Amino acid sequence: MVNPGYKNFKGEDWVDPTPPPAHLPHVDEVGSTGAPLKSASFFIGAQCKEYNEDFMLCKNEDRNPEHCLSEGRKVTRCAIDALQKIQSKCQVEFRAHWQCLDGKNQDLGRCRKYEKGLNECLFTAFGWKKDVPGAPANKPQIHERIPLTN
Amino acid sequence: MPVPFESLIPFAIISGMFLVTGTGIRFAQTKRNEGKLARYSLDDWDRKMLQRDKQLTGTERGQIDEPVAPEEFKVNSAWKVYDSLRNDFA
Repeated sequence: MVNPGYKNFKGEDWVDPTPPPAHLPHVDEVGSTGAPLKSASFFIGAQCKEYNEDFMLCKNEDRNPEHCLSEGRKVTRCAIDALQKIQSKCQVEFRAHWQCLDGKNQDLGRCRKYEKGLNECLFTAFGWKKDVPGAPANKPQIHERIPLTN
Repeated sequence: MPVPFESLIPFAIISGMFLVTGTGIRFAQTKRNEGKLARYSLDDWDRKMLQRDKQLTGTERGQIDEPVAPEEFKVNSAWKVYDSLRNDFA
């Protein structure tokens, strides 16, 4: 996005090197980029449901960043925990799935083959099952349907 | 008299030009996206995710899957500001 008054904007980004204030507790940041996060998204969502809902309700009250710092820390820690668990047991299938997603515009529907391998690995390792929240219960989940194409 | 071969040369030229433009576009896009196909239909979420990926890996299409980010990630978010508002940190 270019700011209005573009002739003053020389195309360089300005980085603020000030660290966060010292009185806040330390929290590691999630280090995954977009494709691994999308691949693990349903599992992170299932594991971290309470923390995520707390954070969203807190943000609903007040959009000030300072208001929801502690809930945000819990969300980050939970996501890191879920990713570490996935990496510990199912790293090969996870990597195959997100590398496929990366090449296909991050469309989940185009990488069902690798997703199947990842889901089976996670089910045998932790008992986690991927299901889409809010899907109709009387029909099979979209990732378990017999594909019409591909 | 059968079809003279000279009349088919324009068709060959036209198809050759299609090939050239197609190859050129594909080459330019894969060069820009590190060998991957270009992302399309990007919404605000995807654009902000690409910006975050650039912070984490240096390029918009680079991917890593570490659970914990490197230390530089906490302080390297970039902002676009007017030249008159930039502070010169030594």
